[in-house]
Amino acid sequence: MVETFQLSKLYSRGVYALRNLSLKIDKGEFVFLTGPSGAGKSTLLRLLLREVLPSEGDIIVVGRNLARMSAGQVQAYRRSVGFVFQDFKLIPRMTVLENVAFVLRVLGAPVATQRRKTFQVLKWVGLQHRINAYPLELSGGEQQRIAIARALVNDPMLILADEPTGNLDPDLSLEIMNLFREINARGTTVIVATHDRELIRRVGRRAITLDHGSVVEIDEQASVDAGA
Amino acid sequence: MLVLSYFFTEALASLWRGRRASVLSIATITTALVVLGGFLLVTSNLDRLVARWTTAAEFSVYLRDEATPQERNAVDRLLVGSRTVAARESVTKEGALERFKRNFPDLTTTARNLDGNPFPASVEVRLQPAADPDEVARLAAEIGTLPGVADVRYDRQWIARVLTTVALVRGIGLVVAVVLIVAACLTVANVVRLALFARLDEVRIMALVGAPLGYIRGPFVVEGLLQGGLGALIAVGLLYAGFLAAASRYSDGLASVIGPDSVTFLSAGSSGWLIAGGMAVGCLGGIIAARSARGLALEG
Repeated sequence: MVETFQLSKLYSRGVYALRNLSLKIDKGEFVFLTGPSGAGKSTLLRLLLREVLPSEGDIIVVGRNLARMSAGQVQAYRRSVGFVFQDFKLIPRMTVLENVAFVLRVLGAPVATQRRKTFQVLKWVGLQHRINAYPLELSGGEQQRIAIARALVNDPMLILADEPTGNLDPDLSLEIMNLFREINARGTTVIVATHDRELIRRVGRRAITLDHGSVVEIDEQASVDAGA
Repeated sequence: MLVLSYFFTEALASLWRGRRASVLSIATITTALVVLGGFLLVTSNLDRLVARWTTAAEFSVYLRDEATPQERNAVDRLLVGSRTVAARESVTKEGALERFKRNFPDLTTTARNLDGNPFPASVEVRLQPAADPDEVARLAAEIGTLPGVADVRYDRQWIARVLTTVALVRGIGLVVAVVLIVAACLTVANVVRLALFARLDEVRIMALVGAPLGYIRGPFVVEGLLQGGLGALIAVGLLYAGFLAAASRYSDGLASVIGPDSVTFLSAGSSGWLIAGGMAVGCLGGIIAARSARGLALEG
């Protein structure tokens, strides 16, 4: 599903965010990226979203090299990826319904499809009763569930989440992680960046630890524990 | 259709949200187009006026007081023999004085106190409407060399000077208008760019979900187009109001100098072009601003 070969990202100040990173994530896998601040977790997600280009090396997703895509191909690729951020990135002037339907609208889906799929996904995250609320009227957990609904509404093959529980308390964090587990159970590949080791332990999935832009540990045990 | 409706809805909402900045860019477009339209209005009327004067242009041959009948006949022969001349009329010294008194009654006393009659006898020549100006100029020059001729005044010479002045005014107007239009375009670009940055999160999310660049940029281009269109409509409205005000105030004076109905407003076509031009300028500003969206959407 995702493979990187000697992947490096050098920012303009001469600092390597990632250095010679090689890793592989299989289709349908649920993987944590962890490590301290500045380890390169967010940079790897930004590379996977094709927000930035690698300085060296290759990043392959479903057989496509993200570094060698045209603008049109990048747009097509992004339609197959859902993303969730720590700060939710909901549009305050839009209602819950509009925030989620927005994705389908910009992709040109018919209005009836927008309504049907948006309602389905909001029902799935348990917020179908808040469709007319505005983001600032919702709690942090509810806002993150809306962000997850937005990431899911287009049936992506890959979900990327950057510190999705960073603004939430432990109980809400586990609730959000359970949503990701359910998404993963439906066959979607999920990559979550978090520095919360306790959460990783409780969810029990493979964890790749980065530090200074390189892999320092791959904890296969977590997934074995979860499967047991 | 759904996409266009989205572009216009978003552009109108953005115009309203940033109404203070939008008023500024609409005002700059209005100013630029009022200047351009004003110059067009003035020069198009001058063009028409000059064209009318050109078709009515005459030349006059002023004779010396001591010109002999033979010398007068020589002038007559040249005029009769020219195909550019439609008609001619001899005006005696007495006739010229009478005409002066008739045309300038306030100056009758002055004319009466003069020692003798200072007005020369003349031949006033009416030209063929399609007369070749060069041929007329040659005829005037030839007559000017005849003995007994004091002076030849050919109206088309000063009309040519008026035409040169009109062209100069038009040129200056165009330069000023182009400078103002460029300024207006940049103002629109900056105002639309402000709108784009105000919606940065939205634009970024659109880019991340794979929205086509055209879809991201569309509302900003339409916003520029609407600003330009509104500015141009206001400019044409102001020009028309100014024209009506000037016409009602100066119509009598103008009619006596240049004839009734000589001054008209811009044609519907010109007004249409002015509005389309304003929309194009606004649209260009929107495109310049919307280009920033690519940088937000993609690296490399």
